[in-house]
Amino acid sequence: MKTGIIILLCLCTALSALLIGAAGNANVKFAYGNLPDYIEFTIPAGWPKPPANIFAKNKLSEQGFQLGKKLFYDTRLSKDGTISCANCHQQFAAFATYDHDFSHGLNDQHTTRNAPALFNLAWMKNLHWDGGINHIEVQPLSPITSPTEMGETLENILIKLKTDTAYPKLFNTAFGTEEINSQRMLKALAQFTGSIVSSNSKYDKVLRGEAKFTYAEENGYKLFKATCAGCHKEPLFTDNSFRNNGLEINTFLNDYGRMKITGLPKDSLTFKVPSLRNVSVSFPYMHDGRFYSLGAVIEHYRNGIVTTQATLDPLLANKLTISNAQKYELIYFLNTLTDTSMTKNPRFAR
Amino acid sequence: MNNIFLLLPLYFLSFSNIFSHSQKTTANTGTVKITFINTVKGKPLELNTGNYTNPFGETYTVTKFKYYISHASLAGAQGVVNDDENFYLVDESKPDALHFSFTIGAGNYNSLNFTLGVDSLHNVSGAQSGALDPLNDMFWTWNNGYIMAKLEGRSPQSKIINNKLEFHIGGFMGENNVLKNITLSFPPGKILNIQPGKTSEIIMEADIDTWWQQPNDIKIAEHAVCSTPGALAKKIADNYSKMFRIKDVLNN
Repeated sequence: MKTGIIILLCLCTALSALLIGAAGNANVKFAYGNLPDYIEFTIPAGWPKPPANIFAKNKLSEQGFQLGKKLFYDTRLSKDGTISCANCHQQFAAFATYDHDFSHGLNDQHTTRNAPALFNLAWMKNLHWDGGINHIEVQPLSPITSPTEMGETLENILIKLKTDTAYPKLFNTAFGTEEINSQRMLKALAQFTGSIVSSNSKYDKVLRGEAKFTYAEENGYKLFKATCAGCHKEPLFTDNSFRNNGLEINTFLNDYGRMKITGLPKDSLTFKVPSLRNVSVSFPYMHDGRFYSLGAVIEHYRNGIVTTQATLDPLLANKLTISNAQKYELIYFLNTLTDTSMTKNPRFAR
Repeated sequence: MNNIFLLLPLYFLSFSNIFSHSQKTTANTGTVKITFINTVKGKPLELNTGNYTNPFGETYTVTKFKYYISHASLAGAQGVVNDDENFYLVDESKPDALHFSFTIGAGNYNSLNFTLGVDSLHNVSGAQSGALDPLNDMFWTWNNGYIMAKLEGRSPQSKIINNKLEFHIGGFMGENNVLKNITLSFPPGKILNIQPGKTSEIIMEADIDTWWQQPNDIKIAEHAVCSTPGALAKKIADNYSKMFRIKDVLNN
């Protein structure tokens, strides 16, 4: 009898612990036995800690990730049912738009900036070329509601999801009840996009001692460290800063970059420094996709920089000195940053 | 032996307490209800139909009027008592969004303090729910942050398309931060008395006529639209920070 009571007490304690664990996750209240499979987000060895833990109030789970993936690939998130997040963020292009300076939105409209690649977002303090997005969870609101992109309202999307046969069950397995609201939808999307990590390129393997650079790649790496790493800082290949890299202004767009967000003249013509990981598959380049090859980009830094702009980054004031031979070695090195274990990973595929 | 069985319900009770954090009603608390009457020059606002004139002789109508109230607290002899950090979106178009209530200790109070807007932390904390749900159309999707107060309408003096009047006032950082901490005293001779288990009411007026001047002249002909954080938003917020007054206190 006594043993029975002790066992009962132990069971009660275990049950209570489970309930408390679930209650600790701000918006999640799970019935007993209905917890999702939580996943640990792994920081690659030697990498810095992300500036903030994007999963602190959005506990990463397999079910949340899978729901986010379904939403990411669902064209019903757009007004006319033809455009999903993945239309402009294609996995084989490191989740940028392959071979497009501007992406196609609703009714054959174009976006006004080049779609950025999506990976290692957990390390970004803010998102978009101008840094206007301050948290990964709220980013999808921008393309979803933009009239030139997906052109839909949150209200309509929630109606579509609620009347779908599959979604209520998926929200239940991810969040504990069938309730569908904007917060849960955005958190699920963040679980998917925030999980995309690229840390397994040839470059990474070389650093881990699992592969060796060729002679040309090695030379390119040396040049990179001396010439490019001031902005494209390893291991993320960006320092997440905003800089003016001396592009001539595109008079169709008159895009002054971050100044639109801060209103400060010092931010005129500055844009976020993009990561160079997977750069060979995420062309074209720059905020307006004006360069279609790495050669053209290097040519810009050698000869094309407009040195008269007041906000030009001081690191580029004298343009970059890169010989013809070095140019090709640099491209060989940049090609080692392609991570097919990410761009071809079935886990991130539809 | 029997004693152990008697203890079991207590054991469960101790854990169930952990989950009952949302309701903190005890014998010694009551409720304060704050009711908002939006006005123009002291007269109740008539959305869409009312024709109004600002201090510069410019005429306008109002089609939307919304603002966030947060961190409401009451002060009395026993000190300052805070509510539970809820956010409330006052919305003229929704009768249910013109009042809110919270539980507070019984006693006498003589001033009300609140924030007009959404604090900086909640502007950068990702997807929110309730009053802060982006569904409420008070969140900038391209330059993230909450619109703290929104006034929309039409004015023949507006040079913008369709004579629009569109003030979306936000900004939570730096010199153009528009968050306003507001303290209001009750009318002379009035105190708020909260009895255990009962509800007393504060009637608050918010007057749109304050948006146009003191300290900053805002003429529709010059500024019919404000939809980004910045110096203009700050000027308008400095004006509207004086829009509230407590009209009455109804004790129960």
